[in-house]
Amino acid sequence: MALRDIKPTRSELINIKRRIKLSERGYNILKMKRDGLILEFFKVLQQAKDSRGALLERYERAMEMIALAETVEGAIGVKAAAFSTADAPAISLKSKNIMGVVVPEIDASSVRKGVLDRGYGMLGTSAVIDETAEAFEDLLEAIIEAAEIETTMKRLLDEIESTKRRVNALEFKVIPELSEARDFIKMRLDEMEREELFRLKKIKARST
Amino acid sequence: MEIAVVGTGEFILGFRLAGVRKTYAAETDERLVEHINQVLDDKDVGILVLKGSDMERIPLRLRTSLENSVKPTVIAIGGDEGGLSMRERIKRSVGVDLWK
Repeated sequence: MALRDIKPTRSELINIKRRIKLSERGYNILKMKRDGLILEFFKVLQQAKDSRGALLERYERAMEMIALAETVEGAIGVKAAAFSTADAPAISLKSKNIMGVVVPEIDASSVRKGVLDRGYGMLGTSAVIDETAEAFEDLLEAIIEAAEIETTMKRLLDEIESTKRRVNALEFKVIPELSEARDFIKMRLDEMEREELFRLKKIKARST
Repeated sequence: MEIAVVGTGEFILGFRLAGVRKTYAAETDERLVEHINQVLDDKDVGILVLKGSDMERIPLRLRTSLENSVKPTVIAIGGDEGGLSMRERIKRSVGVDLWK
């Protein structure tokens, strides 16, 4: 707001004072929100690091195992076993709210299965297929854990960034500009009062 | 709810072995985008698994909506995550590199 656009009136002064109060209250609340979000972020950070590490490790192992299975059983053999698996791992996805940030909450069941529950025949396949299936079940478990934590983390980070921007905008732009406008109006009003007083004195001096 | 996997034939094969039924093979970029959109519309999918290198192949707009999606939750594995990495995100938001 440029100073020349401001009307130096008492009502404008009251309006601006009200807006400053509101901005300051918003600034304090947003600052608290930012600090709270950062605290939440620190709680998730270590978990996210661990889960990413476990995920990478298990992914590499799973990829190794499937390459090995394809070498031993042939691509067709692995495909045949893969397409005959029965139970799909079930997950339940809920969302929870951390200071206005919606994050997922995932519960998983029946990811790991016994050798007999996998659906493919025991006799037609070798142990490599079992091990590969197990490696991928491990990977799925890691994925389910990492999916929850990483999404939480990403959303928290985005929210921290936007809250930080708002806090900074209020602190360095909105509140200083409003304060400047308030000071300007005060100065102008005082000036006008002095002019008025001077005028009255002049008139009085002329009349006597 | 179920897990869905979209990627190349060899990427999805192992997941089928672990019992994931919703696996979609996508060799070209168009098929990849098509399958991802199909999964996003599927109300029964809770987690969408993608390969990190595939994440970089999809258009920016779709990638952003995937990153912000909660239902389904999207996760990229293997290699780069695509888009902004976690380290860069943390640096930008908190101001310190805490991802060490």
